[in-house]
Amino acid sequence: MSIGVLPARTAARHARARGGALRGAVPTGILLLGAIYCLFPVSWVLIAATKTPGELFSTATLDIGSGLWSNIADLLAYRDGVFLLWLLNTFLYAGVGAALSAAVSATAGYALAKYRFPGRNLAFNLLIGGILVPAVVLAVPQYLLLSRAGLADTYWSVLLPQILSPYGIYLARIYTTAAVPNSLLEAARIDGAGHWRIFSRVALPLMVPGLVTIFLFQFVAIWNNFLLPFIMLGDDRAFPLTVGLYTLLAAGANQPSLFNLILTGAMLSIIPLVALFLTMQRYWRTDLSSGAVKS
Amino acid sequence: MTKRKGARVNRAGAAPYLFLAPAMVLFTLFLALPIGYTIYLSLRRVQVSGLGLGRGSRREVFAGLDNYAAAVADAELWAGWLRVLGYGAMVLAVMLGLALLFALMLDTAHVRLARFTRIAIFLPYAVPGVAATLLWGFLYLPSLSPFQGVLEAFGGEANLLGAGTVVYSMANVAVWGGVGFNMLVLYTTLRAVPREYYEAARIDGASELQIALRVKIPILIPAIILTTVFSIIATIQVFTEPTALRPITNTISSTWSPLMKVYRDAFVIGDVYAAAATSIVIAAIALVLSFGFLRVVKNHAFGEG
Amino acid sequence: MRTRRFSAVAATLLTAVLAAGCGGSGSDAPESAPSSAPAAEGPVKLTYWTWVPNMDKIVAVWNNANPDIQVTVSKQAGGDDASAKFLTAAKAGNPPDLVQAEYQHLPSFVAADAVADLSQLVGDAKGEFSEGLWNLVTLGTDAVYGIPQDSGPMMLYYRADLFKKYGIEVPKTWDEYAEAARTVRKKDPKVYLGTFSSKDPGSFAGLAQQAGAQWWSISGESWKVAVNDAATLKVADYWGGLVKEGVIDDMPYFTPEWNKALNDGTLLTWPSAVWGPGVLDANAPKGKGKWAIAPLPQWNAGENVSGFWGGSSTAVAAGSKHKEQAAKFATWLNTDPEALALLVKEGAIYPASTKGQGVLTEAPAYFSGQPDFWQKANEIAGTARGFTFGPNVNVTYNAFKDAFDKAVQNKSSFADAVTAMQDATIADMRKSGFQLAQ
Repeated sequence: MSIGVLPARTAARHARARGGALRGAVPTGILLLGAIYCLFPVSWVLIAATKTPGELFSTATLDIGSGLWSNIADLLAYRDGVFLLWLLNTFLYAGVGAALSAAVSATAGYALAKYRFPGRNLAFNLLIGGILVPAVVLAVPQYLLLSRAGLADTYWSVLLPQILSPYGIYLARIYTTAAVPNSLLEAARIDGAGHWRIFSRVALPLMVPGLVTIFLFQFVAIWNNFLLPFIMLGDDRAFPLTVGLYTLLAAGANQPSLFNLILTGAMLSIIPLVALFLTMQRYWRTDLSSGAVKS
Repeated sequence: MTKRKGARVNRAGAAPYLFLAPAMVLFTLFLALPIGYTIYLSLRRVQVSGLGLGRGSRREVFAGLDNYAAAVADAELWAGWLRVLGYGAMVLAVMLGLALLFALMLDTAHVRLARFTRIAIFLPYAVPGVAATLLWGFLYLPSLSPFQGVLEAFGGEANLLGAGTVVYSMANVAVWGGVGFNMLVLYTTLRAVPREYYEAARIDGASELQIALRVKIPILIPAIILTTVFSIIATIQVFTEPTALRPITNTISSTWSPLMKVYRDAFVIGDVYAAAATSIVIAAIALVLSFGFLRVVKNHAFGEG
Repeated sequence: MRTRRFSAVAATLLTAVLAAGCGGSGSDAPESAPSSAPAAEGPVKLTYWTWVPNMDKIVAVWNNANPDIQVTVSKQAGGDDASAKFLTAAKAGNPPDLVQAEYQHLPSFVAADAVADLSQLVGDAKGEFSEGLWNLVTLGTDAVYGIPQDSGPMMLYYRADLFKKYGIEVPKTWDEYAEAARTVRKKDPKVYLGTFSSKDPGSFAGLAQQAGAQWWSISGESWKVAVNDAATLKVADYWGGLVKEGVIDDMPYFTPEWNKALNDGTLLTWPSAVWGPGVLDANAPKGKGKWAIAPLPQWNAGENVSGFWGGSSTAVAAGSKHKEQAAKFATWLNTDPEALALLVKEGAIYPASTKGQGVLTEAPAYFSGQPDFWQKANEIAGTARGFTFGPNVNVTYNAFKDAFDKAVQNKSSFADAVTAMQDATIADMRKSGFQLAQ
C-alpha cells in the first residue's frame, strides 16, 4: 500500500461516516416498526397483569390497572407457592434439556458438515424428517414407551424426548459449514490431532454463536412446550409453568378460571426468557474466523 | 493433494458415526419407535361386543387399510387441507419476507438500536401459549378490541373474528409469533460470514442495498431454503393458532386444520386408530411437499463444494 | 454397506420393541385386587387426581384421622383434557388410585375398563343420594362405578335490578322468556336478555333434560340413540328461532367478551347451574349483590322441572392396587358430614349427597340480595332430572360444538344441527361395532 492511497481511503471512510447516520435511519426505522408490531401484544400482557379480577373485564383493554402487586401476591400464595416450584421445574427442564440438545446437535451437525461417509444423507434426512411428525402424534406413543421403562411421571420423561432437535441439527450443520473452514481442520490434522481433539479444540469454539442460537431456541421451545409434559406428568408438583398455568385456566366445568393469576403468571414467565436472551446476546456481536481465513 | 484427501477419508473411520450416535439413539427411541407404533395403531380398530361396558367388551382387532380409506375419503380432511394451504401460503410469504428483511436490516453497518429491536422482535416467541386465547381474545373481540374504533371507521360492523376475516387474524397470530425465530436463524447465518467479505464490495463503491441484494442474499440462500422447508412443514401442521382462537369465535370448527382433526380423534373422541392413520397421511403429504421442494432447489441447499 | 446394515439393525430393533409392545397392550387389565391386603410395611399410599380447589385441606383431615391410608392430591386441569389424560394413564398401566370423573365421561371410562366396580365395597352409600344421581354412577346396571360428589341442577340467574329497570317480570315459562327478550331489545338495542352458547354442550343437554329428553337408553344388549327426539328438537327450535330473530345473542359463555357483558349489564340472564356463584364472583365482580336466582322457565305453565349441567363423581381406577382403601376414602369424602362441610366451604361445590345439601345455609356473598339462596337452590335441585349418558358422549358433544357453531354463524336451523349430532353419534357407534336398536 503506497502512501498515496491512504488519504483516499481515509476520505472514503469519512464520507461513509457522514452518510452513515442517514443510511442507518432506514434500517433502524424498519426495525423499530417491527419492534412495535411485536411488542404491542406483549405490552397487553403486562397491562393485563396489573388489573385486579374486577378491573380485568370492566375497564378498557389498554388501561393500566391497580392490582399488580396483589396479583403477584395471590399468585405466589396459590397452593402454598406452587408457582415458584413450577418456575424451578421449568428452568430445570429447559436448561438441562437445551444444554444437552445443543451438545447433541453440535456433534451431529459437525459430523454431517465435515465428514463424507456412507449413510450421511440418509442420516440427515431421517433426523430432519423427524419434524414431519408433530408432537400431537408422538405424545401418546412416547408416553406408553416411557411407561414401559417405568419412567412416566418423572423428570426424565419430560427431559429425554426433548433433547433431540431436528432444527438444532440442521442449524448446527449449516452453521458449521459456514463458520469452520476446512483448511483449519486440515491444519490440525496435519499437526497430528485426533478427531475428538479437532472437534473440541478447533471446530467447537468457532461454532459457539450457532450453538448459542440452538440453545436459546431449544430453551424457549421446552419452556413453552405444553403437550408433552401434560401427558407425561401426573404429579402436579413436577409440572412446568405451561401445564401449571393451564390448570388455572381449565379449572373444570364448575369452577371459574383464575384469569388474573394466569396473566400474571404468563407475564412473570416471560421475564426469565428476556434475561436469558440478553445474556446470550453478546455471542452474536463478534465475527470470529476473520483472522483464520486470511492465513 | 489426492493422497491427503484419500487419507482423510480412510482415517475418518468410525469417527462420524460416533459423533452421530447420540442423535441416532435418541431418534430411534423417541421418533422411530413412536412412529412405528403409530403405524401399527393405524392398522387396528376397536370392536365392541354387547353394550360396550364392563370387562372384556372391547377388543382391538386388525383393520387392514380401513382407517386409511376412511381418512382419505373424509371430505372434511381435504377441506382442511385447502384451508391450510391457502392460509399457509399467506403466512409463509409474509413471515419469511419479514424475517429476511429484519435479518438484513440487523446486519447493516450503520444500524442503531440493534440489540433492542432484536429482542423486541424475538419476544413474541417467548409468550406462553396458555395466554394466547386471552391475549387475542382481548385484542380481537369486538367489545374489547382497542382496534374496534379504527375498524368501524373504515366501514360498518367489522369483526376481526368473523367468517371472512378470521383467517387473516389467525395468520397475524402466526406471523407475529414466528417472525422472530426465523429472523434469528437467518441472522445467525449472516453473522457467520466474516466482515471482510463485504469490504471488497464496499471499496468498489457498492451501497448497502446492493451488498444486501448481491452478496448477502446469495449467501443466505441455503438458510432461506431450509427455513422455507421447515416453515412449510410447520404450516401444514398448523394447530395452535386455530385452537387458541376457537373458544372465542363460532367460525372455526374442530377440524379446521388436518392436525386438529388428528387431535380431536385422538384426545376428544378417543379414536386413536383413526388419528394414527390420518397423521400418517398428513406426514406423507408433508414429506412429498418438502422433499419435492428440496429436490427442486437441491444444488443450492447446502452451499458446500 | 453401512447404510444397509444400519437400516437392518433399526428394523430389527423396531420389530422387537413393537412385538413387546403389542403383547403388552393386548393383555387384560389386572384382576381385582384381593380384598384386605394385610397391612404390611407402612401406610397405604393413594394418589387422587382432582381439580376441586383446596382439596388438599380436606384430604389433610382424612390423613390425620387415618394414618394407615395416606392420600396425596394432585391438582389437574379440568374438562375434556383431564379425561383424555386419565384414559391414557390407565392404558399405560399407571393411573392414579382415585380420579374425579364427570358424569358424562364415566361411561367412556367404564367402556375403556379404566374404573373399578365398587358395588362390593361401598355398601349403603346408595341411600345418601337421589335416584337420578345414583343412576349416573351405575349406568343402569348393578355395578357401581363411582361415588357422586357434586351435581349441577340448573336454574335461571338474572339481574334483579335491571329487570326492574326494564320492567320485566321473572319469566315462569319459556314463552314469557321469549317475550321478555323482545321487550329488552326494544328498550335498549345494546342489551340482550340472554345468549345461546354453541360451545357448551353440557348446558344444552341440561335444557334438553328439562324438556324430557332421553338421548341414550339401553334395551337388552343394544343402545338406543335419540339425540334428536321431540323434546330436544323443541328446545333447539326455540333457541334457534330467538337467535334468528335477533333477540338472543350468540356469544359463547366463559369468554372475555361474555365476562365483560356480565359486568356491563348488557346480558341480563344466564340459565346456569348451582355452581354459578363462583363463576360470577370471579368474572363479574361489578354485579355483586345484583343477581338473583329463580327456577328455570318451564315449557308448560304450572310445571316444575329442571335439568343437570355438569357434576362429577369420585371413581377408583381399575388399575389401582388398593381398591378397598380407595373406595373407603371415596365414600368418606362424599358422605361424611365433616368432609361434606369442608367440600362446601373450601371446594365451593354443591354436594350430591342429600345430607350435604343441608349444610348450606348462608347465602354466598355475591348473592347478598337473596338470603334464601340455598333454600331456593335445594328446592330446585329436587326437581332436576337427568338422563343416561351413552358410551361416546364426547363424540356427541364435539358434534354439538361444530354443528351449532355453523348454525349460529349462519342463523340456520338448530334442529338440523341436532340431527347432525344424532348422525355423528350413530356413525361412531356403528364404526365401533355397537348394536343399535334404532
